[in-house]
Amino acid sequence: MSDYIFLFDMDSTITRKEVLPEIAQKINKLEEMRQLTEATMRGEIPFKTSFLRRVKILSDISVREVNDIVADIPLNESIAEFIRENKDRCYVLTGNIDVWISGLMKKLGMENHTYCSKAEVVNDRISKVISVVDKELMVKQFVQPLVAIGDGDNDSGMVRMADIGIGFGGVRPIAPSLLRSSDFAFYDDKRCTDFLWKLL
Amino acid sequence: MNAFDPKNTTVIICCAGMGTRLGIGTTKALVDICGKPLIIRLLENLHEYDDIRIVVGFQAERLIHVVTEFRKDIMFAFNYDYETTGVADSLRKALVGVREYVISLDGDTLENPEDFTAFLACKNECLGISPITSAEPVMAAVEDGSVVNLSKKSGNYQWSGIVKIRADKLKGTSCHVYDVLNEVLPLPAFNMRTREIDTPDDYDRAIEWFENGMMG
Repeated sequence: MSDYIFLFDMDSTITRKEVLPEIAQKINKLEEMRQLTEATMRGEIPFKTSFLRRVKILSDISVREVNDIVADIPLNESIAEFIRENKDRCYVLTGNIDVWISGLMKKLGMENHTYCSKAEVVNDRISKVISVVDKELMVKQFVQPLVAIGDGDNDSGMVRMADIGIGFGGVRPIAPSLLRSSDFAFYDDKRCTDFLWKLL
Repeated sequence: MNAFDPKNTTVIICCAGMGTRLGIGTTKALVDICGKPLIIRLLENLHEYDDIRIVVGFQAERLIHVVTEFRKDIMFAFNYDYETTGVADSLRKALVGVREYVISLDGDTLENPEDFTAFLACKNECLGISPITSAEPVMAAVEDGSVVNLSKKSGNYQWSGIVKIRADKLKGTSCHVYDVLNEVLPLPAFNMRTREIDTPDDYDRAIEWFENGMMG
């Protein structure tokens, strides 16, 4: 048995849809959100700047409602199953906000295994963002050997620093910077998960 | 389960290099073979295998795009140091989490499908050999049906990079696959009709061979 700890990006790696555009659609702000999200994935806007802008777009919507939408978002089932069955060795690293994703993390058994951005909530609305996660800095805290899996530009640092870095392109194209930092790439979630099981 | 059953076998295809000698600015796995890229011709013979790994480097994104249009359940391993490392370095990149048995192929070689099917069905370790046809082959010294040595200097057959072997025998550290294999020879020889594409002349001969039904 190996000592590997498995780090997962959330959007488009665990989930089969990008979370923020899914929420934006509910309040008819999809186009605005999509443009920002695409540019961020390609690495054209720094993640932190873009994320704060994207949260602002969604500031009018109920936190509870968002949490429900996120909890019901379709998942890459074989990846979700791997996480549920290997809870102790899996962590989720996501730029997404704690109060939005807590329901989904609970569903995955990751409620105490998540590194994410944080926000303050007043009257069921996000009043301010407290912190935006930097995945590369988070990865530096781990002392065990790491397998990291993601798809976006903001996953490049964690994937590059991992002992085994994986790009996952099963939902959307892998960001060019990430492809360049990866040891392996997969475009099918079942095939990706078969490989993860071999690394346990 | 039998040895070399598709369920206990990993197939590795090394396609990281630049194909400089071919001189068309395209990684050799993407050269056109009568309407289809070479890599697709290879994958068409491997539909029973579910652990296929392709090592990519030069033009990685282009190669990935072509392959995933054909089949999504492929694992890609990256060797971005393709200019300074050998095929064995590419092969080692793909050995992480590998199954008990490995079939390794070069992404620049065409196989006669009938011979290749027989090679896949073979239940023991073996090296695919053919009469010498390439301009700069790796040669196999074959004695009594076994390959006893591989080198660029001497041999009575050509080895086109095709091997079936236990994964634990691929641990050698040489940059050439033939030297990694030299450490574990002899291994049974398996005759098969193949064409390796290294140079423009190899390419012309391979196309002619393909158009004539891949005989001889």
